[in-house]
Amino acid sequence: MITRLFGGECIDGVSKSEVRDLYLVQDKISSVSTDARLDAEYNLSNHIVVAGGIDLHTHIGGGKVNIARLLLPEMVRHGRSRLECTEREWQKIAPLSSPVPGTWETGRRYLEMGYTACFEPAVLPANARHAHAEMADTPWLDTGGYLLLGNDRLLLEWISKGAPQSQINDYVAWMIRAHQCCAVKVVNAGGIDAFKFNQRHLDVDEKHWHFSITPRQILKSLSHAVESLGLAHPLHVHCSNLGVAGNIASTMATIDAVEGRRLHLTHAQFHCFGTEGPHGYCSAAKALADRVNAESNLSIDVGQMQFGQTVTLSGDTMHQFANRKQARPRKTIFQDLECQAGCGVLPFQYRHDQYVHSLLWAIGLELFLRIEDPLRVFLTTDHPNGAPFTAYPHLIHLLMSYDFRMSVFERLHADVQSTSSLASLKREYSLDEIIKMTRLGPARALGLFDRGTLCDGGIADVVIYERCENPEHMFARPKMVFRRGTLVYRNGEFLATATKSTIVANVEIDAKMDVTLRKIWPIHYGYSSDLIRIHQDELLSDQRNIEFASRATKSVVIGK
Amino acid sequence: MICPFCSLLCDANDLNEIDCGLQNKSIVQLAKLRSQLDASFNESVTDTEMETAAAIELLKNAKRVLITGRVASVQTARAAVSLAMKVNGTIDCAEAGHVFKNVLAIQRSGIHSVSLAEARDHADLLIVIGGDALLDDCPRIPNSLNSENASPKTVLLLGTFTDKSTAAWTAAGFQPWSISCKIESVPTALTQWSRATLQFSPNRMTSQLFIAMDTAKYTAVLWSAASLRVEQTDLWVERLLHWIASQNETKRCAALPWTSLDGTFQQVCTWLTGFPGRIRFHDGNPSFDTFTNSYESWLARSCELESDSVVIVIDETAATDPFIAKMVFWLGRKFHVIELTSGSMRFPTAVAGAEVAADIFRADQTLLAHLSPSRECDKSRVRPAAYWLARLAP
Ligand SMILES: [Zn+2]
Repeated sequence: MITRLFGGECIDGVSKSEVRDLYLVQDKISSVSTDARLDAEYNLSNHIVVAGGIDLHTHIGGGKVNIARLLLPEMVRHGRSRLECTEREWQKIAPLSSPVPGTWETGRRYLEMGYTACFEPAVLPANARHAHAEMADTPWLDTGGYLLLGNDRLLLEWISKGAPQSQINDYVAWMIRAHQCCAVKVVNAGGIDAFKFNQRHLDVDEKHWHFSITPRQILKSLSHAVESLGLAHPLHVHCSNLGVAGNIASTMATIDAVEGRRLHLTHAQFHCFGTEGPHGYCSAAKALADRVNAESNLSIDVGQMQFGQTVTLSGDTMHQFANRKQARPRKTIFQDLECQAGCGVLPFQYRHDQYVHSLLWAIGLELFLRIEDPLRVFLTTDHPNGAPFTAYPHLIHLLMSYDFRMSVFERLHADVQSTSSLASLKREYSLDEIIKMTRLGPARALGLFDRGTLCDGGIADVVIYERCENPEHMFARPKMVFRRGTLVYRNGEFLATATKSTIVANVEIDAKMDVTLRKIWPIHYGYSSDLIRIHQDELLSDQRNIEFASRATKSVVIGK
Repeated sequence: MICPFCSLLCDANDLNEIDCGLQNKSIVQLAKLRSQLDASFNESVTDTEMETAAAIELLKNAKRVLITGRVASVQTARAAVSLAMKVNGTIDCAEAGHVFKNVLAIQRSGIHSVSLAEARDHADLLIVIGGDALLDDCPRIPNSLNSENASPKTVLLLGTFTDKSTAAWTAAGFQPWSISCKIESVPTALTQWSRATLQFSPNRMTSQLFIAMDTAKYTAVLWSAASLRVEQTDLWVERLLHWIASQNETKRCAALPWTSLDGTFQQVCTWLTGFPGRIRFHDGNPSFDTFTNSYESWLARSCELESDSVVIVIDETAATDPFIAKMVFWLGRKFHVIELTSGSMRFPTAVAGAEVAADIFRADQTLLAHLSPSRECDKSRVRPAAYWLARLAP
């Protein structure tokens, strides 16, 4: 199958943005014209041609998402979509059928916005098979998971006993491969486990009551392991003190803890509070942005919040529990899970008239606007925590238009309007920057060298948007989406299914560690490690491949 | 293997070795369902292909379709939900009634819960509520919660337990301690005890109880909705969940609600459709209603209609009942019944983990285990339920 795309402006943040021809030859991109017979040709004048979008932090698989669905059946409203809503309704309701729709809908709506790869950032080891099975049922998208470590009791025990770093490295490698994940995520290092021991607070240098170790030690050890193993994605960290006034201090301490190694801070807007200001909360976005601008080992995703109803779900039981009284509606689920982590599900309404909510909105945008390099700040809403992923087009509009941003700013809580520096930030993102932030940046951050660009030999996941004055309309619905060279979506119609890949880190299991874990796993968990190890075959089918991502090499694909 | 009857780890290597009474129980459960279907049998004796064609034709013309029975694996659950969507049917499994007693309570007021391995490793006090039926239903619970490494844990048995249960917990290495009381009143009593407003005079037993509850650092509270004998179980569960939540204001306490058999189906249905598994499809969109979409109420409503209703009964685990093997395809007076069952000559449905590889959730709903066939089986004979469900789709 050979497709020629001509007349469209190709934008990928690598080559100069210009109108040029692009060929999709089988499942690969090529810029070289071919003598072979074309199967299809599209005139794309007044369109832009970009790579498939990559969401590196969206909760689309695993136990917590299902628990949120179970808790909130009354929030499901079928038959509403973005285009069927008025602007006012859109502000009020999520355009998804619910804050946490089923997989069929999730896959459909992502593709409808031009996204082709999504990553679940909090895979509890015990839930890994579930998470992969769920993501396998999410159509059209390539997927991968970040393994939740740093509250697994075995690791905490080893660190507390002074285990050598090599042992931690081997353990992390074993865990990553056994659960077929592509990165390591830490949520409130040590804090989830501490909460099981009834500890209600844990600062970066505070000791876990039972293990007598600090989050700093855990972060240091895990970031060391991630670097030693050559994982493509840096340690992905949800900092201590989520949502707590003054938490910028622990965010800075977290950065210090990794001692200059690469670090990705997730949903950073929730970890950016100072203590000054009218209600004991203020924005500390500038401090974090300055640090990210100055230190090239750092990247963040924002987790931008939008006003309206959603549900927050997090492994951070400690802080979800602390916020339990803010749940709307007033029902919450907290789980202590499998000696590995936990889960807190809390339905939430973000409101304009609430000072901290308004402040959060402004902090998120401040981060976007203050961080200079669009390859180190990523467009996320931490779906569904800050907002549903379908808010991206709206968010892009906020970033590209100062006037539009100010039109929302004017409706914020008066104390935020009078104290925030957002109005002074006149930057407007260019189209190139938006494309970098949603394609090239996440691809590089994940070690997906053949994605995120329109370079020769790249995977032919290509999206065509019609140019439009209003970027929100433009990015809400692409004209066409190609997956691996096949046209799967055109003008609102889904035309074909797509082969999906699971992205897995390319690390080896150490034989000695395997023997050790086989021995102690049953003592620790009550079942054999064989029961939880996910075999390669389980991830393969006629419609599913495995792709190995690594920092150093090009990715390798395994198919059935 | 993971037992397809209670979904706990089991020493047996083979389905036929499992001797826990649950196999019979599950057969009784489906027999009850069959009796509710009240079909007058008009068994056809054609071969599988012809029967499949007839079943497809039947589904095509059906105005109302119910999919029910027992689904043990992820693969079958996917296929069942997918078929329900294609035929705009209702789907509700035979065990769901018990699951929804807990689900209803959780949907009203949330839950603090704990998974099995966590409770095993971390809880220093177990409160178990119910009666002997709990261990009759799930005899392996004490062993699953027993950690050889930890010092013996205290188990507080509240309800109508006899020496039989106490002995089972002792044998598993626990220090059990039974207080007999009305199960109905346990949530209220716990609330009163923890407020230390006892309505009765404290004796040695209750003062010990105080000490145990007071000194516990992490309490896990276990019950099984399926084996509880209380009125309005969902309200009972809700009261208990309120007590557990209140405990967490100052200490740690969590629920370990036993749901056993339906876990896999519930999880898969929830991630596919956004709803727990008691749903009806309309124009391809699911709607959820615990009451109207239950198989009992579907059958009751359909009885009044002409016979354009089709019931698909999936029986993924009942492997040995010789009667089931015969009753496969019913052209009933009131319903057409298409049954997918093991051992049948016509629609042979494999047993997850015994005949085919399958994914199945453990009772804590956290751990999804991959089961390989536990013995050599005649692969040419085995057709997993998922295969048949896919064939039946229009
Ligand atoms: Zn997140």
